[in-house]
Amino acid sequence: MADQREHEDLMNANEAAVPEDEERIPAGMAWRTAANLWRAAAGIRWRLVVAVCSTLLYVAFSLAAPVYSAEIIDLLWGCIQRSFAEGVPFAVTLEDGGRQILIYLGIWTAAWAFYSVQVMVMSGFAEQLNLALRSRIAEKLGRLPLSYFDVHQPGDTISRATNDLDKVSEVLQRGLLQLIIAVTTLVGALIMMASFNLVLTGVFAVSVVGAFVVTRFVAARTLAVSTERQEAVGTLTTRIEEAYSGRAVIKAFGRERASLREMSEAADALARTSAVADFITNAAGPAVRFLVRLSLVGIGVLGGGMLIAGQLTVGVFQAFYQYANQGSEPLTQVSMTYNMLQGALAAAARVFALLDEDEVVPDPAEPATLPVGSAGRVVFEHVRFGYDPAHPLMRDVSFTAEPGQKVAIVGATGAGKTTLINLLMRFYEIDGGRILLDGVSTRELTRADLRRRFGMVLQDTWLFEGTIAENIAYGRPEATREEVAAAARAARVDFYVRTLPDGYDTVLSNDAESISQGQRQLLTIARAMLSDPAILILDEATSSVDTRTEQAIVHAMETLMYGRTSFVIAHRLSTIVDADLILVMEAGTIIEQGTHEELLAAGGAYAELYRSQFA
Amino acid sequence: MSQQATALDTPNANEDEYRMGASLTLLARFVRPYGELVAATLLALVLDLGGMLFVPTELASMINTALNQGGLDELMRHGATMLAAALVGSGGAVTTSLLAARLSAKVGRDIRVAIYEASLVFSGSDFERFGTGSMITRTLSDATVIQQTLLMAILMIMPVPIMTVISVVLAFRIDVVMGWILLAITGTVLVITIIAVRISAPIFTRLQGFIDRMNARLREAITGARVIRAFGKEASSRERLDGTFTEYAENAIKANLLFSTADSMTFFLMNSAEVLIIWLGADRVGAQAMQIGSITALIEYALLIMFFMMMAQFALLSVPRALACLERARQVLEVTPEIADPATAPGAARAGAPAHGLADTSQSGAPVAAFDHVSFRFHDASEDTLHDLSFELRRGEVTAIIGNTGSGKSTIARMLLRFHDVTEGRLLFGGVDVRDLTQDELRSRISYVPQKAWLFSGTIAENLRHGAADATDERLWHALETAQAGFVRTLPDGLESRVAQGGTNFSGGQRQRLAIARALVRDADLYVFDDSFSALDFKTDAALRHALKPELGRAATLIIAQRVGTIRDADQIVVFKDGRLVGFGRHDDLMDSCPTYREIAESQERKEENHG
Repeated sequence: MADQREHEDLMNANEAAVPEDEERIPAGMAWRTAANLWRAAAGIRWRLVVAVCSTLLYVAFSLAAPVYSAEIIDLLWGCIQRSFAEGVPFAVTLEDGGRQILIYLGIWTAAWAFYSVQVMVMSGFAEQLNLALRSRIAEKLGRLPLSYFDVHQPGDTISRATNDLDKVSEVLQRGLLQLIIAVTTLVGALIMMASFNLVLTGVFAVSVVGAFVVTRFVAARTLAVSTERQEAVGTLTTRIEEAYSGRAVIKAFGRERASLREMSEAADALARTSAVADFITNAAGPAVRFLVRLSLVGIGVLGGGMLIAGQLTVGVFQAFYQYANQGSEPLTQVSMTYNMLQGALAAAARVFALLDEDEVVPDPAEPATLPVGSAGRVVFEHVRFGYDPAHPLMRDVSFTAEPGQKVAIVGATGAGKTTLINLLMRFYEIDGGRILLDGVSTRELTRADLRRRFGMVLQDTWLFEGTIAENIAYGRPEATREEVAAAARAARVDFYVRTLPDGYDTVLSNDAESISQGQRQLLTIARAMLSDPAILILDEATSSVDTRTEQAIVHAMETLMYGRTSFVIAHRLSTIVDADLILVMEAGTIIEQGTHEELLAAGGAYAELYRSQFA
Repeated sequence: MSQQATALDTPNANEDEYRMGASLTLLARFVRPYGELVAATLLALVLDLGGMLFVPTELASMINTALNQGGLDELMRHGATMLAAALVGSGGAVTTSLLAARLSAKVGRDIRVAIYEASLVFSGSDFERFGTGSMITRTLSDATVIQQTLLMAILMIMPVPIMTVISVVLAFRIDVVMGWILLAITGTVLVITIIAVRISAPIFTRLQGFIDRMNARLREAITGARVIRAFGKEASSRERLDGTFTEYAENAIKANLLFSTADSMTFFLMNSAEVLIIWLGADRVGAQAMQIGSITALIEYALLIMFFMMMAQFALLSVPRALACLERARQVLEVTPEIADPATAPGAARAGAPAHGLADTSQSGAPVAAFDHVSFRFHDASEDTLHDLSFELRRGEVTAIIGNTGSGKSTIARMLLRFHDVTEGRLLFGGVDVRDLTQDELRSRISYVPQKAWLFSGTIAENLRHGAADATDERLWHALETAQAGFVRTLPDGLESRVAQGGTNFSGGQRQRLAIARALVRDADLYVFDDSFSALDFKTDAALRHALKPELGRAATLIIAQRVGTIRDADQIVVFKDGRLVGFGRHDDLMDSCPTYREIAESQERKEENHG
């Protein structure tokens, strides 16, 4: 009578009310991924073993219970009939059925105990496994080559570390064991039923087959409908994003009504598909239950007839009813969980794909060392490079930047100015030739040692979530507050910081755009200033900041460049003209180099670019 | 755990309750239009649950019939009733799923549309209070959370009271004593459920915070990969991530354990209830108060009640999050727009060209718009962004504004369009205070090129027709030529070329020229170019200004610029410094009289000299 599983299963069916995109995964990959997960679970595998054993024991006890209840009911019925025959009322006492009832409670308590062991053991398992995998991702992020980040959207990687692993834990927490419970309970219940009565079992079996047909159909429809829903979500998202970003235009051109109409249409389309999708998901359970109820009607009538004919005892009849309930509810479950399992394995496969990405070449075992006070002489010797080695961009590039010189990098957008930075700081490996820093090949140094010599101020003004002081001291966490303030003064951002209520302790959060792009850039200059590098890589401010802030940035950068070798991505004529060396870039390679006068005299690409107004 | 939870709850419990009430009122407002749908859903739910309870009831009757040696026809009669119960119940359940999905989808849709509609009347400052990112979240994912929670509430929470009432009534019909016992069991489970939800809700809310944090930190580590490596901070970045991951895992495990405990407790309660019913039920049968088959029915009632309670408990966990989403929606919907149309607007009658109240400014040199001692201050600011400005924008003349950022240049354009209202003084359009005009009337007379050239997904033609829906193709081509956007001719699909979201499939300069063309398609009294030329190279800038001159001769023009070169030929130049007017006149005069202007011009000329 107490079929706990029914209740658990219904609950899971309802959880599916939250939209989930479903996926299929090839069998070979599924097994490989499962094996990977097993390996990743090193140290906590015992939990899984214990959980599976408890689960099987739980199923065994819960299947045994109805048999015993049949005996109790028959016993009680016997006692009651006897009492009635004697004309006295009957009451349960320890001797008269009470003991058996307590034993029955004992059986269920055992089932409960094993069930509890299973859920408790598993409640930690999934999250510990996820933590282990997330920790590997965190480590991996530090070892992936920069090319990975340049090619992949941040959202894609984030989603692997969060959503994908959540799907895995969801299945491990409930799905996997539910599947075991569902299958073993169904098979066990059918066997027990068959041992009682074959005809009634046959009636039930018909509904089981029907239920499978229904759930497969529903699963296929769910897949199709959820794709439609995703498309509707996509359309609405696009509309909303652009309407909010372009609201000044909408208002200026008096398009409020037209825009509201478009939005209502998109929202309505989404409402229609999600109504269908939610309906299909939630109707699967009732549909299956209907088939089971039909079989219960058949069992009721047939079994009732047998009861009258004396072919069946009342206890057996009730036990049969319990088995029908126990066995039927997992029906929706099996199919749903199977889909969830597929989705989770596909998600886990994506996580392992991330973990299997190629890593950067390890640092040399016995690295060369640079003198402490590095001079900052940079030499490119016959450098060859291409993001795709089959399509080289740079073939045989050589130049020398002497200590303290200013090197201007010019070229149109997309000409590959960042390529040069990538090679200098060894974010990418060169395919041939050498890059020397103070006479040492950068490949022979550790990356940390190499990069310590460089300071970088880019357009992308990345700051992390922390205080302004922590951000400025990023390269030298041990710096005193006075040193931090000095760097900020040199970067001309000290005054601004002090106008903030919390000053240097103001926490910069990612979503708040409280500080402007220009101020952020000044903070990154202060950050570079404090780490005091021998070589600088600078990206000049562009029109995103106003003239005055731009002036501040230019002056701050001049202060920063003083006495250091600097590579400046130039947007400004003044920078180019007084540079010691100009590197002209096109299509990822250096096509010309020399001073301003030399290049103008040469009358090549630089002269052309210069004349066509360098803006 | 519970102590922690209450400690977190109590400080602003009153405020929370107020918010919760307000949020639910808001939900009611969105559900109310679908009263019939709600009633139908509830009816279907009653049928569903009634059917669910009648199946065991009839089965019990069949057992009783059989044991009392009733006839086969009586058995068949109960069989027929059970079949009917199965049909009604399952039909009700399927209908409930259908109606609940429809209802929640409609409510979700209405919330989205309402938020968007509300945003349309927001002023610039109203909108900035929320920010674009937050407004997108409120319109999209918040509404989804509300929708899904509403669906869960109908399917998982609503059944509890209905189930309880029907079961208890059925139990009392079987036997009064057993009815009381069932009621007692229900009460016990209800108390336990309430306690469990009280304990777990804050933990789940906190867990959501940890998830957000995990996402933020990951994004930081990924977008900052270059800088992190440049500073050799891979290890500390990893530690930061590990810390966040561990924090999340610890809390998630805590929440799971709590959930498992509740799960396990329910299981135990179900066992106890069953045994209790068998024991006491057998006594009642022995006392001839009921029949033995009814024990099956009673056990089933108890188990169903507990099962639905447990589901409700699960569903309740997502309620705090949905309430927070409703609260966020409420904040948007309850904004009183800072800028509203006048109750009786002179511009309401928009028949003739010079609408009622607007002065005729068709003469060249007539002031189209005028700033009359205008000051402006953002409400959270302690200083004026613009202070005591007076100047006129006259028909046939080009007025230019130049100054440093934060000097309030763009605010001028935004005030003309009435995205902001003056704090002091008056802003006149056609001689009428803009606050006395409807926003539609005012804006229909201005054509505007925003600082950030924003295009909408669709075609180029659709974008160009934003300001003049019935413009001919010739007109569009003419505007494109004037805006130096002849590149459109070279596109295979010409005017029908696709524009991606935000216009990202065009370069910054191309977008800017398309935005200028869009403004030119429209006939207006005033054309406003908000820093629209800075994305163009000098050559295009010059060619564009040359082409614009004859086009805009009939109107007033306002150019907000960064480059002195762009505005050298303007009829009047307004120089700003920190929100104050520090120079006014033509280029040559200002070079003599205005140090700020000279400083800007010289800093730019230094660069241009080199270029020769």
